[in-house]
Amino acid sequence: MRALEPWVVQPLETFLAESAARLTLLMTMSGQVVAQHGFSRSLDVMSAAALGAGIVASTEELARLMGASRFEALVHHGQRQSCMLAAFTTPRGRWIGLVVFGPETSVGIIRLFFDQMVQQLAAVAPREQTQPPMLAENFETELNASLKALFGR
Amino acid sequence: MTATQAVLDRVTRVPGVRGAVVVAAADGLVVAEQLMDGVDGQAAAALTASLVGRLVRTAEGAGMRPPAFVQLRGDGGSVLAAPGPQDLVLVAVVGPDANLGLARLEMIEAVGRLA
Amino acid sequence: MTDDIRALTTRLADEPGSLAFLELAEALRRRGQLEAAYKVARGGLARYPGLADAHDLMARVLSDQGDLAGAFDAWTSALQLDPMRTSALKGVAFLYFRAGDKAAALDHLQRAHEVDPDDPAIPQTIARLSAQLRAGAPASAPVESAAAPSAPAIAPDSSERPSPGLFHDMDGGEQGLLLVDANGLRLGGRLGGADGNDVGDRVAAQLAGLSREAARATRLLGLGSWHSIAVESPDGHLVLTQPTADTVLLAARDPSLPMGRVGLLAERAARAARTWLETQG
Repeated sequence: MRALEPWVVQPLETFLAESAARLTLLMTMSGQVVAQHGFSRSLDVMSAAALGAGIVASTEELARLMGASRFEALVHHGQRQSCMLAAFTTPRGRWIGLVVFGPETSVGIIRLFFDQMVQQLAAVAPREQTQPPMLAENFETELNASLKALFGR
Repeated sequence: MTATQAVLDRVTRVPGVRGAVVVAAADGLVVAEQLMDGVDGQAAAALTASLVGRLVRTAEGAGMRPPAFVQLRGDGGSVLAAPGPQDLVLVAVVGPDANLGLARLEMIEAVGRLA
Repeated sequence: MTDDIRALTTRLADEPGSLAFLELAEALRRRGQLEAAYKVARGGLARYPGLADAHDLMARVLSDQGDLAGAFDAWTSALQLDPMRTSALKGVAFLYFRAGDKAAALDHLQRAHEVDPDDPAIPQTIARLSAQLRAGAPASAPVESAAAPSAPAIAPDSSERPSPGLFHDMDGGEQGLLLVDANGLRLGGRLGGADGNDVGDRVAAQLAGLSREAARATRLLGLGSWHSIAVESPDGHLVLTQPTADTVLLAARDPSLPMGRVGLLAERAARAARTWLETQG
């Protein structure tokens, strides 16, 4: 498990230990990765983050069109693996969790401990000044630095 | 009142029962619930479904048919579970002074009416 | 970081495509640095998906991490690429043994022996396992560490099994009583299945992690620590208790015996188990 921010580590480790999730990705709404577990290739992380952020954005727009409040979570059930996407609020803004899990656990367990992780993140997040806006030319540099940190290179 | 609500209503009338939920066993998600304050239905559903799944596999390993009733006893009360039809489980959280015998009978009788 | 690991890390950094990942991951695994070993093995496997050595290595790492299903898949992949790979045959045999399928374990060990008749550990283990299958005895020949390169702790040899005294003063002796450690390995007792064969090891494997799961459920539901689990099946009554923090005891009886009495039996058996465990040190 790798995280860019040290305060994310403990809540995420607790979630992983309790939920038996196979893969986990925490990211901002723009797809910038905050933490990951289980991915072995940076390309997979980038792809998953981009796709996950896109799906959540589409789903939130769909909810808006329906006049509904935001959907809490989206679950795709597969034969061998399933996937949950959930957006949540942190003191650092809205983030997205992408969790891949197998039959050794259940969506109920995943959601139970994911919600607990969200509460813990809210409790331990440092209160800092707001981040300066991300400039396009800095984005790729930031992304590469993030990926290196996430893969321990 | 639906059949499911009627089941929950009957179980929660037993003295000492703090709440009851009907759970989709495979997912551990709540189908219906009737809870007192302080009882976490989401947790009861997910955790009990997971435990019952493990006990079903244990019973199968021992060459037995799936359980009809499960009681997890703790210091401060118990969780009762009665697997029913269509992969549903009736779960009740009870205090230490609950009438366990009556709760068990009501749950076993009621779970067959879940649909 | 030791010198060899440092040297291998440097070599792999300089030549990411080299096979140094095999040695590096194995060195990390032997030092117990499993997460690092997993990452290195995973990276190497991604580059060399057709290399049996890489799958074999991954299986050993996963086995050490306790991911036995993943280890099984990895060893199976290694055998698909190299059907005569003795380390994979021994690894799969060990996993079948853990799962209670002694016949399948024996089959794989015999294949390993055909490929490598000079490995003395294999015929010894085959002999013990064969003897147990003939006797219909309950589990546990020691599949020695040579048989599975990274085998975790194994149930004791029949000659070193807990003495008959563990449940000797219980009604019915040890039949219908099972003492299991936190890893799902049987410590004592016997459980007959519907056909009369012993299913103790299979059931013990299902009980790995039960105590943790039960404790989590009662804690999160505000019910304190867990005491017992009672299970009513049309075919039998089971009661599970926790003699010590690291063990689970299962008592199984015919459904004609009231559950309350099965509970009392389980409590007595748990006391006996605690006494016995104290003598084991």
